[in-house]
Amino acid sequence: MTSHSGDIQLDTSGATGPVDAVQRLLTKYPIHKNYNFRVFVQAILTIWAIMSFTFVLVRFMPGNPVDILIEQILTQEGISYQEAYDRVAASFNINPNASMLDQYLDWFADLLRLDLGTSITSPGTRVVDEIARFLPWTLFAVGSGLLISFVLGIVLGMMMAYYRDSVLDHTLSLISSFFTGVPNYIWGLLIIIGPGISWRWFDVGAARGTFDPGLTPGLNAAFIISVFEHALLPIITYVLATLGGWMLSMKSSTTSVLNDDYVNVAEARGLKDRRIITSYVGRNAALPLFTQLSISVGFVLGSGVVIEEIFVYWGFGHYLFASIVVRDYTAIQGAVLVLTTAIVLSNLFADLTYGLLDPRVRISGEK
Amino acid sequence: MKAESAQNLLYTILTLPLGVAGGTFRFLNRLRANRAGFIGFLGLLAYFVLTFIMPNYIPFDSEVNLDEIAGPVGSRIQLAVRVDKAELRTFEDLAGLTVGVVDQTGGPSLIAPYADSINIEKYRWTSRRAGPGIRAALVDLANKEIDAMLIFSKTVEEIAADSDDPELQALLAEHIIISNPELGPPHLLGTDTQGRDIATHIVHGGRILILTAFIGGVIATLIALVFGSLSALVGGALDSALTALTNLVLAIPRFPLLVVLAGLIRFDNMLFLGVLIGLLGWPPLMRAIRAQVLSLRERDFVEAARSLGLSTNHIMFREILPNMASYVMINFIFSITFAMYEQIGLLVLGLAPIDDYTWGVMLYFGRSRGTLYNVDGASMALSPVLAIAFFQVCLVLFARALEEVFDPRLRAAV
Repeated sequence: MTSHSGDIQLDTSGATGPVDAVQRLLTKYPIHKNYNFRVFVQAILTIWAIMSFTFVLVRFMPGNPVDILIEQILTQEGISYQEAYDRVAASFNINPNASMLDQYLDWFADLLRLDLGTSITSPGTRVVDEIARFLPWTLFAVGSGLLISFVLGIVLGMMMAYYRDSVLDHTLSLISSFFTGVPNYIWGLLIIIGPGISWRWFDVGAARGTFDPGLTPGLNAAFIISVFEHALLPIITYVLATLGGWMLSMKSSTTSVLNDDYVNVAEARGLKDRRIITSYVGRNAALPLFTQLSISVGFVLGSGVVIEEIFVYWGFGHYLFASIVVRDYTAIQGAVLVLTTAIVLSNLFADLTYGLLDPRVRISGEK
Repeated sequence: MKAESAQNLLYTILTLPLGVAGGTFRFLNRLRANRAGFIGFLGLLAYFVLTFIMPNYIPFDSEVNLDEIAGPVGSRIQLAVRVDKAELRTFEDLAGLTVGVVDQTGGPSLIAPYADSINIEKYRWTSRRAGPGIRAALVDLANKEIDAMLIFSKTVEEIAADSDDPELQALLAEHIIISNPELGPPHLLGTDTQGRDIATHIVHGGRILILTAFIGGVIATLIALVFGSLSALVGGALDSALTALTNLVLAIPRFPLLVVLAGLIRFDNMLFLGVLIGLLGWPPLMRAIRAQVLSLRERDFVEAARSLGLSTNHIMFREILPNMASYVMINFIFSITFAMYEQIGLLVLGLAPIDDYTWGVMLYFGRSRGTLYNVDGASMALSPVLAIAFFQVCLVLFARALEEVFDPRLRAAV
């Protein structure tokens, strides 16, 4: 038996060590050629690379946060350099007496245990707890916004394709250009200025925060209604800002599917229109959009920094921005890591599920 | 080899103007058929005139006027006289009379050219809005100490509506009328929180943003073009390395990273910001261009060129590049919209340089100073909001029209 891949090239003449065993296993089960496995490893490597990049940025860049903080504590509190250093090092999970490599390994081990250090500006608060407190609100708002706009976009895009070159198509395509072009924070400001201030449809001040103060979080009607009320404006903004893209993608996707033979065959077989639209055209046309959906999760999560600031919605973006304003470096570091991981994971999810949704890809992937 | 590429270059340079002229003509003809795209094109021309030509003729209003704070759209300076003197309407009518103006408001500079013919009575401004300065002038006007007074339309409204001061209200109602509500030039878009004209700020506030976005777009497109075509043409290890790098940069949350960097480094000029946006923005386009080149290099005409033994340079610049020029152009426009999105997002958060008074900075101050939450003064935030929104929409309309005008075969190949 010989290695038949470029990935592993070892001398196999008579060796019986663990390397050989691994290699024999790989030959028997060529997992390194498995698409899902490769995508997974790639995602892990990406996360690791960006984590290491953050470590370097925080620790070794000239004018890095560690040095700046030590300076600050020294001038403010007049304690010895070593004391100041120890305190900062404790916040950042850094052991100053260890070698650089050990520091890196320690820091990395802490990360794997989900220990992102403690906040600098409010000592004693664990960054990971803060993120766990703020992140769900953002996931809720971004998730529902994307879901609504995705479904709406698919329906409108299919309508555009079915009635192409009609007045409806032209109007919707103009509208979709507006939705795409106008930045999401501009939509947010327009919502505040128009319906909020000029027409007084709702009270801008009352929509701040994530739920009305005085309510106990839990499964009671008042709390749930309040949560939806407070998330409504960000959700509308996310819908408006992402809808145009879905409409246009779905239109071009549907247009190309409508030309496929199997649609003609389905019509010739006398299937009901509704069944053709949903099972034959809609399903196949929407497939390429799922990849885009998972990619846009990362983008929309990131743009939450401005949207949540505009609506004073206390989610993850608000936490990140507040940390930047007070220069809470451990918090910033943790937030960036979580965002990156979210982006990588959503891309990974897209790559892994695409084969499940689209059998054609599954077959070509196995070749 | 060298002589050939020099010749190629010369040929390209010589034929470029002809090609551009002919191409532009044909392009505009085809674009006219796409109404939305044509409107976008005209809109972009209008923005060019607004932000690059008009600033040469319209000076930036930096004069702080205390009584003109957050004036609504169209507000202007009015002429107040006693009820029996309603025939006094213009500066010419006022020759030889005494006219009251309040210091640090729009009045003094407006009346300055007539200083020879009109006696100007200056009143001191005190810190309170519509304070004793204006009140003293109005009382003097009612008592016939002066004959007329310059007053800002918003101030008149406020005094008329001010229920705390029935005395002044009665004075206005009984003795004083506005004989000319249109004495001064109108503030087309109202005034900001310092009484400065918003319209002139809109004229001056776009150039730097558009240049920055342009630079960001150029850098992103160039990197994407070089990496994408290298990756596709050379292949092998270079392709793997560049693709891995692209995937890595793609995983970085772009806008949050910019926000973090802006918080740490403190950007001090917009052009630096443009370069940074460009350096982060190339990966999606690189992937698209790589796919384009990969598909184009399998086409017959490229095969033919290769079998003729033509150099890689020739194949890239004379065979492949011209065939995806429109595609690159369209994506270049989209990358401008992204750069615009990111830089203005930073400005709205107050993290980018605010020395250049751009639309983004107007937005930031409009929001942080609370004019956004006041119907009359909303113009300070609404004007830049609309300026940005329409600029972006024009770009998108234009880019989409280009997509339709140019051969759609390329898009199908992706």
